[in-house]
Amino acid sequence: MSLTKERLKPYLVKEYCKGCGRCISVCKRGCIVFSKEINHLTGIAPVDLDLEKCNSCGLCIDACPEPYGLLAMELDEKFELADPSKLFGKKKNDTIEPVTIADQKLPMPKTEPMVIKGNYAAAIGAMLAGCRHMYGYPITPSTEGAELMAKILPKMNGWYLQAVSEVATINHMYGTAGAGLPTMTFTSSPGFSLMVEGISYMVGAELPSVIVNVMRGGPGLGNIAPEQSDIKFACRGLGHGNTHAICLAPSTPQEVLDLSMEAFELAFKYRNPVIVLLDGYLGQMTGRVNLPAHLVKPGIPKWAVYGDKGHRGNLISSIDLAEPDLEKHNEVICAKYDSMKSEARSDNFMTDGAEILLVACNTPARISKGAVQDLRNAGIKAGLFRPITVWPFPAKQLLALMPQTKHIVVIEASAGQLEDELRLELNKAGLEKLPKMSHIRRMGGMLPQQADVVAHVKSIAK
Amino acid sequence: MSTSFYNKFERHAHGEGLKGNSTHYCAGCGHGLAHKYLSDAISELGIQDDTVLVSPVGCSVFAYYYFDTGNTQAAHGRAPAVALGHKLANPNATVISYQGDGDLASIGLAETIAIAQLGNPITVIFINNAIYGMTGGQMAPTTLMGQPTSTSPDGRKQINGQPIKIAEQIAQLDGPVYVERVALFSPAERSRARKAIKKAVQLQKEGRGYAFIEVLAECPTHLKISPDKSEAWVKENMVPIFPLGVKKDLTVEPWWNIEPPLFDGGKFVGIIGATTDKTERNCKEFPAHLHPSDISLKLAGSGGDGAQTAAILIATAAINEGFDGTHIPSYGPESRGGTSYADVHVAKTEVLNPASPSPDILIAFNAPSLSKFGSTVAKNGFIVFDSSVSKEIEPSDSSIKVIGVPFTEIAAGLGKMVVKNIVGLGALAAATNIFPRETFLVAIKQALKDKVALIPLNEKAFDLGYDAAKENMKAKRY
Repeated sequence: MSLTKERLKPYLVKEYCKGCGRCISVCKRGCIVFSKEINHLTGIAPVDLDLEKCNSCGLCIDACPEPYGLLAMELDEKFELADPSKLFGKKKNDTIEPVTIADQKLPMPKTEPMVIKGNYAAAIGAMLAGCRHMYGYPITPSTEGAELMAKILPKMNGWYLQAVSEVATINHMYGTAGAGLPTMTFTSSPGFSLMVEGISYMVGAELPSVIVNVMRGGPGLGNIAPEQSDIKFACRGLGHGNTHAICLAPSTPQEVLDLSMEAFELAFKYRNPVIVLLDGYLGQMTGRVNLPAHLVKPGIPKWAVYGDKGHRGNLISSIDLAEPDLEKHNEVICAKYDSMKSEARSDNFMTDGAEILLVACNTPARISKGAVQDLRNAGIKAGLFRPITVWPFPAKQLLALMPQTKHIVVIEASAGQLEDELRLELNKAGLEKLPKMSHIRRMGGMLPQQADVVAHVKSIAK
Repeated sequence: MSTSFYNKFERHAHGEGLKGNSTHYCAGCGHGLAHKYLSDAISELGIQDDTVLVSPVGCSVFAYYYFDTGNTQAAHGRAPAVALGHKLANPNATVISYQGDGDLASIGLAETIAIAQLGNPITVIFINNAIYGMTGGQMAPTTLMGQPTSTSPDGRKQINGQPIKIAEQIAQLDGPVYVERVALFSPAERSRARKAIKKAVQLQKEGRGYAFIEVLAECPTHLKISPDKSEAWVKENMVPIFPLGVKKDLTVEPWWNIEPPLFDGGKFVGIIGATTDKTERNCKEFPAHLHPSDISLKLAGSGGDGAQTAAILIATAAINEGFDGTHIPSYGPESRGGTSYADVHVAKTEVLNPASPSPDILIAFNAPSLSKFGSTVAKNGFIVFDSSVSKEIEPSDSSIKVIGVPFTEIAAGLGKMVVKNIVGLGALAAATNIFPRETFLVAIKQALKDKVALIPLNEKAFDLGYDAAKENMKAKRY
């Protein structure tokens, strides 16, 4: 081992000295003193170097907290104050322009329909979308999704990591999403509450992720029975700041799989979280599920911080210190929200000539479907409008039905959260006069019943 | 000059003026030194391209202004969680979580401990300066007893608790391989700090594990003393409370060797249990004699009766035959012995409403279920019940057929109580003719594909239930 380490004298561009003096006390030869003159560019008195007696010990350089403060002088080099990039020479900057490594669609074997519950369908949909990083904290009634992923992901060299909390969960997701990979979690209402801080950061940092929230009775600990308790929260309350996310509300296990898979596409398309809202009933409901013809092998987007040469220049961050910068960033986000409106979608069931329009999503939509069938059998012109996205609300599609609609009945397992969205969005869409409105609402884990819906609509039709 | 700092700090106020090559840190702040030693370590280890630095909240929130590496800025206290998310996404990356005392030792304590205990190889650099800097001199979890801050104006008192010694806590966890507390107040300590930071990064690079370095740092601004006095302050006041030195240093062979994820459709289909074989069909047509388009069933018993399994078998049988089927469970809070109900639908094309408030068919495994749901059965419906444990009931309508089969007795006779529900399915098949025997057996065999030895027993149970129901129906002249 060589003991003749090259030792160099310090030099200083005074503009980069903050005058802390940490170098002064380490210099045994007294080469460094505080300057008597304040530098007119910085307003600070820097240190003065007199290197006559300098023995190149280097301790001053090691003591200087500034990256471009005291630096080791190259041998025989002389410096004049100039542009720093010239001054310090062309540092080899090998950062390369990041590129997108594209997703690949790989074929799936043809299979018979599966018979699985909604939570499993969401897990399988996520894995088919290429998600190999699932983070979660077990919470009823969403646990089967996490359990299935914990069983399957290791066999696909993926990760199920049980986090210390939902707060940690969403931040593990933030890291993996920042690296540009698909990531998701299963949670239920109280856990979702804990995640919204991270969701706000993800929206700010423009990170894609999928959060499957199997909603349960609230507020507080509530219970583990199905409720559509978080529609308001998911549509209007995703943490602090200007936050929104596409919220998908499937109503069958098949749709759970399809939308969970598509949720990743939307998340990456808009670089934003996507919320999949199930109710506890749908999470537990077993039904027929056909697998798609392909699965996705994810690539790496060009904006990612993957931890490789190609993405070294990137930054994932939600902070913009300068007010004009943050305003501009919010304008970009708002423009994204506007473009997300094109994703609004809904399903019409027996709406031809329907004068009484039921509006429901998730399991209440299936209950309503049963009711519409009964009502049509009884000669009543009823139909169902089912929002598939609750944010953005499919206002345009609903407006199209308004000329024929005499009465809207909102059927939901909440205290009117869907109805609030409907009223707000129809108003924003320019509908001047709402038709008559009524509703059937159940809470606390009770679901609207088909017979009650039928009786209510029959009483209106009279 | 070999460092991993940007040539120009473009992100610092857009790199304008002097800010392009100056940090935002106050004069004499310890962060700058820790940054320099970390930057040098990254360069010396040759990992600049692979490094992801996670910046926290607090004074070092802008660490990403300076490090020419991949950069992520995390929420307050969550940096190690974010770092682990990066590490699992790219196991070959070197991920460094750089945090201050408010971030790491207060708001992020759960993440700090949990991720250290997990022990996956990441590096955590913890800057402890005994005060909140960015928010303006408030009390930190590491503020010393008696130390005045803007939120402990008369000095930290007993009611505020003692300063928390993080390095010692991390060291007593099983996850970390290397924990050291270092300082910056003298050339010797700076030299140790430099070496410790490099070692902590190197251990990660080599896949040996999680490493944690606590750096006692100076905050002259909020200590309201000059930089040189703050060096002395750390030495004289912090070191006695936060002793320097190696707290843990295990010799661990490299173990972090992660295979890339798989995306093989064939393998995936196999793992999730989807079948590529055509399922055998035995139904000629939809059992419209029970309902023209959508048959509603309820199965009810106590937990452990197998009502849910039987329900799934019926839904599976329907789907195998090309119909639609649904099942919804409802449990009491107990895992075993509580109430357990299942709603099942079998529909010609699509189940509209999967709930069964007034079922066409009830299978009751115990007396309470029979009395609770017996009266809800629709006209022309069927009640199949376990006559070993329930008495015959009078149906609410004369069109309803009530068939009693001793599920429990038959199952006990077969020596396996768990097949009680299969006896019930046999009885269902006989009573309602919903599906042919083979349709049920296909579904049962699918469910038992990993326990093939149990198939003959289940087949026997089904047949005994079937025969017993036929006998009961004959006696009742149905």
